[in-house]
Amino acid sequence: MSDHTTVVEAHHEVDYGPAWQGGDQPLKSGYGKLMMWYFLLSDAFTFSGFLIAYAALRFSSATWPEADFVFSTFPGGFHHMPLIFVTVMTFILILSSVTMVRAVQEGKEENQKGVVFWMGLTIIGGLAFLGCQAWEWNNLINEESVTLYTNPFSKYDADGVYINADGSEGETFKAGTGYIIHKHHGEWAPKKYKVTSGPEAGKVKSQVFGPREFGALFFIITGFHGFHVFSGVLFLLIILLNVVSGIYKKRKNGYEMVEKIGLYWHFVDLVWVFVFLVFYLL
Amino acid sequence: MEKNSLLIDDEKLLKENGFNDHFHEHHHDEDPYQSNFFSKYVFSMDHKMIAKQFLITGMFWAVIGAAMSVIFRMQLGFPEESMTWIKPLLGKWIVVDSAGVGHLATEFYYALVTMHGTIIVFFVLTAGLSGTFSNLLIPLQIGARDMASPLLNMLSYWFFFLAGVIMFLSLFASTGPASGGWVAYPPLSVLPQASSGSGVGMTLWLVSLTFFVVSVLLGGINYITTVLNLRTKGMSMWRMPLTVWSFFITAIIGLLSFPVLVSGFLLLMADRSLGTSFYLSEIFINGQALDNVGGSPILYQHLFWFLGHPEVYIIILPAMGISSEVLSTHSRKPIFGYKAMVISIASIAFLSFLVWAHHMFMSGMNPFISNFFVIFTLIIAVPSAVKVFNWISTLYGGSIRLNTAMLYAIGFVSMFISGGLTGIYLGNSAIDIQMHDTYFVVAHFHIVMGVAAFFGMFAGIYHWFPKMYGRFMNETLGKLHFWGTMIGAYLIFWPMHYLGLAGVPRRYYSFDVFDTFSQFQSLNAFITVVAICTFFLQIVFIANFFHSIFFGKKVTSKNPWKSNTLEWTTPIMPGHGNWPGNIPTVHRWPYDYSKDGFDYIPQIQPPLEGETTESH
Amino acid sequence: MAHLTYEESKKAVVKGLIFLGIITIVEVAIALLAKGHLIEGFHLNKTFYSILMAVFSMVKALFILGEFMHLKYESKGLRVGLAVPFILLLWGVIAFSHDGNSFQERRARSADQHPAEVPPVSEHHDVKHLPEH
Repeated sequence: MSDHTTVVEAHHEVDYGPAWQGGDQPLKSGYGKLMMWYFLLSDAFTFSGFLIAYAALRFSSATWPEADFVFSTFPGGFHHMPLIFVTVMTFILILSSVTMVRAVQEGKEENQKGVVFWMGLTIIGGLAFLGCQAWEWNNLINEESVTLYTNPFSKYDADGVYINADGSEGETFKAGTGYIIHKHHGEWAPKKYKVTSGPEAGKVKSQVFGPREFGALFFIITGFHGFHVFSGVLFLLIILLNVVSGIYKKRKNGYEMVEKIGLYWHFVDLVWVFVFLVFYLL
Repeated sequence: MEKNSLLIDDEKLLKENGFNDHFHEHHHDEDPYQSNFFSKYVFSMDHKMIAKQFLITGMFWAVIGAAMSVIFRMQLGFPEESMTWIKPLLGKWIVVDSAGVGHLATEFYYALVTMHGTIIVFFVLTAGLSGTFSNLLIPLQIGARDMASPLLNMLSYWFFFLAGVIMFLSLFASTGPASGGWVAYPPLSVLPQASSGSGVGMTLWLVSLTFFVVSVLLGGINYITTVLNLRTKGMSMWRMPLTVWSFFITAIIGLLSFPVLVSGFLLLMADRSLGTSFYLSEIFINGQALDNVGGSPILYQHLFWFLGHPEVYIIILPAMGISSEVLSTHSRKPIFGYKAMVISIASIAFLSFLVWAHHMFMSGMNPFISNFFVIFTLIIAVPSAVKVFNWISTLYGGSIRLNTAMLYAIGFVSMFISGGLTGIYLGNSAIDIQMHDTYFVVAHFHIVMGVAAFFGMFAGIYHWFPKMYGRFMNETLGKLHFWGTMIGAYLIFWPMHYLGLAGVPRRYYSFDVFDTFSQFQSLNAFITVVAICTFFLQIVFIANFFHSIFFGKKVTSKNPWKSNTLEWTTPIMPGHGNWPGNIPTVHRWPYDYSKDGFDYIPQIQPPLEGETTESH
Repeated sequence: MAHLTYEESKKAVVKGLIFLGIITIVEVAIALLAKGHLIEGFHLNKTFYSILMAVFSMVKALFILGEFMHLKYESKGLRVGLAVPFILLLWGVIAFSHDGNSFQERRARSADQHPAEVPPVSEHHDVKHLPEH
């Protein structure tokens, strides 16, 4: 206890400085918005858990496929277009975030029509993203045979030269080059090659499968993110219906509900930044 | 110093100084929240009723969880005795041999140990403790009408209830409930062929705990938001009682740690149901090699303990807050070092996220990184010691009322010291080589977070029972309950230190084949006898609790303990909205006991003539 | 956007779109450059590249948080309250990665010491044997 003692007069309200006055919002946000923020904080930790697990598994794996080699197809049968399709997906998500911001701004202006218009665009953006993800998954699973258990993508850890069916030497490749084991008539057909560098130089080897956690992690984590996008679209639809019905108009609180779902939607975009980073860039 | 009783007319103070939030203008007699039996007692959105629901559900689970420990203690204490008499309850899990001697099935022994841990840690000491008292006290002590979102609050209870139903059902699965330990380490928890409990029991366990996490998150988001936004006029953060501080920080820890458990669980579920191998690598089972490669079982342990360690603070912090409040009120002294207490809680919470791998020193984790975990772990001793010092200093020179609540609060401090000190041993990775997975660990965590948290809970129940039910619990029975439990708990867990130092491993069904441990058979039998006695002593508490709800001595004044906090300014049985008129405004911190010649000065009292200023 | 007028904030949105778009394009361009797709035989240092990408992602994340989620215009208490928990994750990332790496080294060492006991990486992953119940 302090030594300072001050005598105050009875029932004389002392000035407690910037003491809390009650009935106010110390963080300048209503309880609904705060709850959404704290929910997102916890959800961020769920994703962090996943991404940290991803890091641990990737570090515990001796090799890892190169993303620019794995993700290099584009709808319409285009190949050798590394990371182009996922860039398109990222743009779609950014665009839908931008339209969401516009919807919130129109809400603040109490402009019902504007909210409906921009939320509608946001929903279309969300659906487009989900469509892209469906194509990507389909391409990985059905075209390239990456599943939860199998991963034909890997990379060479030494220089080498392919050996053709007739025993002659074919093209050469460098260490770190990515490869995919193809299927011929439903059978895996790993190529044979001769190692030309490192301690195993001279040895004839055949391509081996890559770490299977690559596929499993990809599907689980992008699936969990896609599930967030999907439920976001559902919530957006419900709130859009409420906007159309005019119940937020009556509340005259600047369409706070739209703002809250907007926070969730941006969060989905935010998570994608990191999913994009770990799966496609690093 | 001569102590006068300040004549406080809190009705007048509320009327003149209170804050009119126009609550009752919107809620007339037709109270939509309490209009019929279901909305009043079952699907209630009133925080006080939800608190009682959490408490009674928690008590139900405590009885089940403790009864399980009695059964496996009988196996440990008297492995030769026939258990045929319990066959009507356990059915096929008692295997009767040709001589007519019934033995506890080994699978079920592991199931009992697993369920005991799961139930006590999650359902009793997380939901039953934090769920009960956060709900009851946060709105009452900060001067709020209810939680920020009563609906989510109700859902929080019902998700907990749902989790409980699923867990309860799993007890009756033909293959038995989960039996891989409450931590559910892979590969045991991943492979259904690994043990009988790893089948449907494990699946139900995972589903149940996922719903439980939903409940914790709904509750936690609500508690945090309520504490931040719904405090009454004058209730600045530094005027909140330590109870509210501890619930607030507990909720934050839960909000950040449980989601990581969910991600760990989802990967585990994928391994179980989809056949991925996040946690499996190069594994043989039944002489057969599985084709799962590439995963890491240690990864699950990391993810689990990233929750698991904060979880023990989720359990103990509310008990700390309750004990601080009870100690201060019943020793008629301000809590010693209020701000130090808050800062200690906060730093314990922060450190709790950095130390998780001290549970894994022997798991095959890299020993180099263990060093950092040792250092972080030992640092936690500092804020813990600050708190212990403050509790003892609060008691020193006080006018102590030794009622049951106070006895339990003191018992809490005693337990926390005894159990906390052994934590310093276990936090050293070198000593842990000898100690890990022995009864030393069992003794440590049962005392420091099991018994101590129960004592905090009992202190809270005896102290706030008048607020919950408008009646007192019987003091004589309460003291009998306290002394019996206190002595029983020490007699059960103290000898376990010796077992552990001698290397007796935990989780073993029987020590028949270990000659070196046969010398401990009589000690094990002693522990079992005391455990059974202590278990049945709890009937005194349960009888006292339920009898007092209906027939206890009635509370006649609003403030029976002469306490400063706001919950004692409500009517004896507060209705919906807690205060019939204005909500109180706050003019001081909650610990003005024995100040300026006054026995106590409630928080609603404006500054008095000649009073020294607030100076904590 | 609390302190901006409606018109200003509309412009800010367009600016935000351009900003995020440019960063994403730069990220992808550097990724392609680093992995030798743009200039034959040119590769960026892997650590440098990883840190660079992480920094770009943090910039994007902070921008989304600050502008789109309005955090820049919220009270300081809310900002600090939301930021502090992420400090906890720093140690988590270090510890998990370090231990993952150590797991790999041990597996490699054990494979060196007991080559016969470690089954070769299976080439028949397409047939998944679900555990029998």
